[in-house]
Amino acid sequence: MTRRGTLDFAMPMNASVFFQGGTLVLQHTDDIEHVPAPFQFVKSRWRCEAYHYHAVLPWMQEQGIRNAVPRWQRLALELHDTRELHEYQIQALDAWKEARGRGSIVLPTGAGKTLVATHAIRHINSSVVVLVPTTSLVYQWYALLMNVFQTGIGVYYGSEKRVLPLTVTTYHSAGDLIAEYGNAFKLLICDEVHHLPAKTWGEAALMAPAPFRLGLTATYPEEHEQTGERWRLDELIGPIVYTQRLETLVGKQLAEYRTQRVRVDLTREERDAYEALYETYLGFVRERGLQRTHGAGWLRELMRLSAFDPHARRALLARRQLLRLLDSCQGKLAALEALLREHAGERILVFTESNVVAYAIARQYLVPVISHETGVAERKHILDAFQAGHYSVIATSKVLNEGIDVPEAKVAIVLGGGASKREYLQRLGRILRKKEPLQAVLIEVLVRNTIEEGKVQRRQVPRENC
Amino acid sequence: MLTSELIRPRLRIQGSTLRVEMVNEQDPSLQRIAQDLLYLLHHYRSQSQAAWEEAVRAYEGTNVDYVFIRGLAKVLTDAATFVPLTTPLPPAILREQVFARGPVFGTPDMFHPVTREEVLQEVANALGLSIEELDEILFADRHASYRLTDAGPVWTPSELLARYNLELARGALYWASRITIEVSNNYKDLWKFIKLFKLMFWAEPKQGGGYRIDLDGPISPFVSSTLRYGRQFAAFLPALFLCEQWHMHAYVYPPQGRGEMLYRLDHTTSSLHSHFKRSGEFDSQLEADFASEFEQKMGGKRGHWRLTRESEVLLLGDTVMVPDFVLVDTKDENRRILIELVGFWHPNYLRRKVEKVHAANCAHLLLLVYKGLNVTEEAFQDAASQVIFFQHKPVLKEVMETIEEMAERIYGPRTKPKRGSKRRRTPKHSRSGDDPAADDQNPL
Repeated sequence: MTRRGTLDFAMPMNASVFFQGGTLVLQHTDDIEHVPAPFQFVKSRWRCEAYHYHAVLPWMQEQGIRNAVPRWQRLALELHDTRELHEYQIQALDAWKEARGRGSIVLPTGAGKTLVATHAIRHINSSVVVLVPTTSLVYQWYALLMNVFQTGIGVYYGSEKRVLPLTVTTYHSAGDLIAEYGNAFKLLICDEVHHLPAKTWGEAALMAPAPFRLGLTATYPEEHEQTGERWRLDELIGPIVYTQRLETLVGKQLAEYRTQRVRVDLTREERDAYEALYETYLGFVRERGLQRTHGAGWLRELMRLSAFDPHARRALLARRQLLRLLDSCQGKLAALEALLREHAGERILVFTESNVVAYAIARQYLVPVISHETGVAERKHILDAFQAGHYSVIATSKVLNEGIDVPEAKVAIVLGGGASKREYLQRLGRILRKKEPLQAVLIEVLVRNTIEEGKVQRRQVPRENC
Repeated sequence: MLTSELIRPRLRIQGSTLRVEMVNEQDPSLQRIAQDLLYLLHHYRSQSQAAWEEAVRAYEGTNVDYVFIRGLAKVLTDAATFVPLTTPLPPAILREQVFARGPVFGTPDMFHPVTREEVLQEVANALGLSIEELDEILFADRHASYRLTDAGPVWTPSELLARYNLELARGALYWASRITIEVSNNYKDLWKFIKLFKLMFWAEPKQGGGYRIDLDGPISPFVSSTLRYGRQFAAFLPALFLCEQWHMHAYVYPPQGRGEMLYRLDHTTSSLHSHFKRSGEFDSQLEADFASEFEQKMGGKRGHWRLTRESEVLLLGDTVMVPDFVLVDTKDENRRILIELVGFWHPNYLRRKVEKVHAANCAHLLLLVYKGLNVTEEAFQDAASQVIFFQHKPVLKEVMETIEEMAERIYGPRTKPKRGSKRRRTPKHSRSGDDPAADDQNPL
């Protein structure tokens, strides 16, 4: 009989291990006498969660089991970053290396955790996935890694999904990424790692075989926050390898600033429309005594009612139209135009309540806009060009609210008074992050004699807490 | 698929049972709304997605049934095609050119000597466009400015309502941790979709025919009640409707419920018609030819064997094999021979096929293997199955002789038919050497 081709079908199969959707699976194990924990015999195969990879590796090597798990690449990364590490950052990095590249570094906010992380990436010099809580942080890491390594950076979240050897994802999207590509990453970095113990947040770390792991946080979770149904950081990431307290490190975070309010009027038509909508909206709320019966949760109650009560539905719609009217009324846009002219040449951020208004401003004044639809590449371009002075104005909806540094901005114009206290503070902090001894200004444009004024009064933020 | 906020308001909880409030497809008032939206969408052909969405909002008005209206609109939007406008340069580049000149205003001042019109005119001229055209394509990459080019399938109002019901039914599975299904036919399509949506299964034959299949995902055994696979279950569900008879039990954790609840569906639920394509009867011409030659020469009264298509499953742990044909002795239904045609396939497919044959360890399986393949009889040496090699097509005479031999060897000599024993052979369980990570388009 002639043997054709090269396929050795009849050869006895050697035991091997492969990665499947966040698990390690053994096959052809007939010759293995005892398969140890954490493997469990489930659905006709020995399986375990992929994070056990580093722990079961010695056993697999000893048994001569073929290892088909790693698909990570060796890289040739270079640090294109002139910043020198501070002494405490070097200590943190060394401690992590000492712990065989597993564990968390606890540093206060602003102490340069991400800088330490880039050195850890350089040290491993292999494919890396970074998990972050928000899409804003995806952008931030994307820009940072791109600048530091001068190479393409993958992102995997919401509408953008591009996987590269260095990929940034959100905890929310990480599960899908890891299920599919978990074995493509040798190092797993979890930013704001204190989120990890939460049930769905920890799944991605559980499903990743990455033998090297780095957690970053300013607030390491307490023991009781890691019990019961919650995941343990010790197990999924490793121990705390380095802690540094706040006081010794950072100076004053915020620069000097002043606030300014610009009050505008509605036009006659706008006023009439406003009063009618106001009556429909608050008339209903008063009539039903929603604020009395439901306290702070009255709006939620209104939303619930609106699914079956036509009056509630009309009230809710009136509320929406009213907010839209205030957001885009003529007076505000006129005030905005005056402010843009007045602050010619300065770096200005314009915050709007809605996407629609942000895009309308972009078209009207021909300035770039950043919204949740803006992809990472264009977003980086806009922020870089703003920093370099090619753009002097950026219009944005609520996107820039969290965790993005725009230190060059010295004027922030806030249209719309719907901002909650927290949002307000974040917007303040944004433009006021210390950069140079220049006084920054936050200008809030409000419509006189409307609910916006009430909101501002409720939001008196004591200066010393800012 | 519908977003969860369009499903949630229609979930109903009774004790520990979850139900989805479907709509009556024959209700004239609902049909009218469906008709209005169908008409509206057609009216918005070649207009922007934002304009269509705005129109839906306007249509919704103060109607309290907005969850229903938005749901229908979502079904329509998903089935329609919106495409970006073509632009002379990528829109991001256009914006760079335009925004580098901003901020500008309607009237010039000392610091802004150029007006908005002048900037637009200059950029437009360079591209050979009008100001209006430039304005229109400036954000052509936003979904909001995509244009409706194809309104999707031509649905009647009740068909649209039926599709909406289907989307509600599958949407409840977003909160499922695992599902169990019972089916009795159309296995091949079912396995295809189970694999496609990367679900894990565990199947057992049911008394009286058919199979009971548990579906979850790889990490499920390690993370109790994970909802990670909810969207995959939802995506998979219409595959089930391809079966004639089916039951589904889902273990769900709805957002407004407490703990695990049961969500059931079966073939008696009306309006659950699959929009998935049923695969053709035969995968290859080879199979079709074999079946037709058999019918011609051995079919009906001409022989004592009945040929059926893919009506049996060999369970191999976490994978299956669905042989192409089952031959059943019409005089004694216990006498069954499985036939698998191994035609012109990719070597990887073939490798897994051979592994499966070994794993199946199945004596009543006959393999008909194309000789031009990179595979020899040695490959099947230790397999319990019988193999016939063929050059161009299987020779029916040779096949039938082998089948008679096999039947005699396995089931003993043919005797006069005995009535009574209806026991079905259940295939053996054993582990297989299938590597799902390296699967291709031919999963079975």
